Amino acid sequence: MGVRDALAHLAGGAVAPVFAVAGGGAREAVAELALSPSVELVDSPAAASVLLVAGFLPSDLHTPLAALHDAMPDPRCTVSWPLGSDHGSMPLSSSRLRIGPDDEPVQAVTRAYRALLSGVVATEPPIQPDVDPNPWRGVGPYGQGGRGMTGGTPYGRPMAELGPDRDGLRLDVLPLSIGPFFPRFPAGLILDVVMAGDLVIEGRVADSPFGGGEWRPPVGPFVRALSEPVPVAEIELARARQHLRWASDALITQGLPAFAMRVRRLAVTLTPGHASSVRALSRRLRLLRVPQWSGAGVGRIAPELLTGLALGPVSRAAGLGEDARAADPAYAELGFEPIVARDGDAAARWDVRLAEAAQSLELAARARGQRTGGVGIVEGPRGRLGPDDSPFQRLQSLLPDLLAGLEWGDAVTALASLDLDPEEAGTVAARPSRAEAA
Amino acid sequence: MDYASPPIALIAVGLAMAAGVYLIAVLDRSIAVLVGAGRWTWRGAIVGPIRSAALLLVQRRRTTERPDSPGWTLAPALLTGLAAVALAMVPIGPDMAAADPSTGFVVFSAAIVFVMIAVFLHGWSPNSALAMHGAYRFGAQALSFQIPFLLAMLATALPAESLSIVDIVDAQEPLWNVVRQPLGLPLYLVVGVAVSFWGPLNLPDASDLAGGTSVEDSGVARLLWKSARAAMLVAVAAMGAAGFLGGWWGPWLPGPVWMVIKAVALLTLLLVAGHLLPRVRIQRFVVIAWVILIPLALVNIFVSGALLL
Repeated sequence: MGVRDALAHLAGGAVAPVFAVAGGGAREAVAELALSPSVELVDSPAAASVLLVAGFLPSDLHTPLAALHDAMPDPRCTVSWPLGSDHGSMPLSSSRLRIGPDDEPVQAVTRAYRALLSGVVATEPPIQPDVDPNPWRGVGPYGQGGRGMTGGTPYGRPMAELGPDRDGLRLDVLPLSIGPFFPRFPAGLILDVVMAGDLVIEGRVADSPFGGGEWRPPVGPFVRALSEPVPVAEIELARARQHLRWASDALITQGLPAFAMRVRRLAVTLTPGHASSVRALSRRLRLLRVPQWSGAGVGRIAPELLTGLALGPVSRAAGLGEDARAADPAYAELGFEPIVARDGDAAARWDVRLAEAAQSLELAARARGQRTGGVGIVEGPRGRLGPDDSPFQRLQSLLPDLLAGLEWGDAVTALASLDLDPEEAGTVAARPSRAEAA
Repeated sequence: MDYASPPIALIAVGLAMAAGVYLIAVLDRSIAVLVGAGRWTWRGAIVGPIRSAALLLVQRRRTTERPDSPGWTLAPALLTGLAAVALAMVPIGPDMAAADPSTGFVVFSAAIVFVMIAVFLHGWSPNSALAMHGAYRFGAQALSFQIPFLLAMLATALPAESLSIVDIVDAQEPLWNVVRQPLGLPLYLVVGVAVSFWGPLNLPDASDLAGGTSVEDSGVARLLWKSARAAMLVAVAAMGAAGFLGGWWGPWLPGPVWMVIKAVALLTLLLVAGHLLPRVRIQRFVVIAWVILIPLALVNIFVSGALLL
């Protein structure tokens, strides 16, 4: 056994570094996977040995997925986890490693990783040809000079141009496209920004790729409540769980991945009896100054811009009491009142979501068979949901003004605080066709 | 004091760095498990770091489009070298130092200043937008922490009336600097975390940049960079123990044991803080450094100087 074989054998017992693409209907499953001590979800494909492709991915994302695969170092393998969707047309569909409905996902991923390290599974060749998207016309030893160095897109990358900055100077500005698999954003979210150093000059979020009608999403309690009455307890437990999942993701964004795992564990095992645990968590986060340090004054949206948009915790954090539950007799019986804050910034959204998570658990515990929904509109965890009407679509128009002038870290915090979900747009868009099929 | 012979000094510093880096890996995993309410296992905490290192040794290095390859290769080596120089200046006993030049404080400070070059080079070289942003950030961070860091350190030289680290530790026999200069250690630790870009001040390699300057690293390059960062944290903690916690002074136990205990205690404190305190916004850190830390560091120096008059 050579040194390399010995190292590979030793490495086979390591925590498997996985870059996970959580497509449609897979975010919860992938988040739970991260709780296993045998798997580590890494932020960069350069750090991964396993590419996990879970759930549905629209065809628009297949080419970026291939590029992501090719950005992984050897040895590498792909594990396909369809979760009921069709992976047949994906560029990685030839992968022999697949998690079936009866497989235990952590075991399947670690088995694939060990097979890769031991040589039982060969490393995967690149999917895309290693050629430049645009011909390089540089002349110097580092590609400098020549036509196309300014104003062009050599290698498919826009070059920095001069532009005005906030101090009245003209500095280099660089257009960038972040996503669709940036680890701090949900899969499918593409942020087009123009940056001057660490400063966002312009930013806009592209339309959801999930809205093209290709997808038959799984039906969660909120979508089901659009067309039929659903128990309040079920809806509120799902809302609390979503708020805690959001908190877990936001903690990772703020550099606290270990604390995020604690919150995620709570989200997975959540029951209506956990309201006091959620309140204790909220107190602890305030004690550690997490909302204040990361979000005070960041991503503030004025209430007049939000009026009528019904963006759930985002609206309520700005002092608007817009909540479809307030007009629902089932909730009136339970003594529901919307929770509001004043500041309208990322810190206020932390406060509102954590308070709402505890409130939802208390409502779920008090509910005695009350049902809600069936009227075509429901208060989802991100705001009002209706057929072809999702909070993601309504938020998009606010984002350019919100992002302009923020440091990159604040821009990511601001976007994370909005809990954008491109998948939700596809979920409500697909609803009528599912009804027709029924 | 005589210098140790170069081979022995080299081996001693190398071993100290390797032990420190491994200790950080073990402690960091253990703290992460405790904070995350996971299940701590010997295998995960003790053997896990070795297995993860083995994986990075097996993984092939990948490259990017038109990187600055020499710079990319050099950056982790430079940071490792700077950590080694900084650590070599820290004595663990009155007669146990890899090197104790009369200007040990200056050499340590010079190593800290050059960290900015290593991190900027590491972010610049891959020709990648997120890595470059990490490098920009560290430029702002380093320009802000260097003055308070040096001022906090400089105050420890006043009671010793010497720039030799051994003299600085010797001068703490009657009273440790942590008591004599109560502002010194907190200031040193805050800026020390910034120097080694760890925890709440890991801004160049932050999660909002998907890893920042190390986003494109794989294989051995990733292992070297992670090790170099950890080695720098070891150097910062060891110097903190020597400069503020009385170094080898302590009852009952041999001096070097006290030195190790104090360095590990500071290391643990920094690692725990890394898992509990959120990332500080760069804008806020720059303001805090210039408006609060530098004036406090100056007050610390003036008060220390006045007490000696």
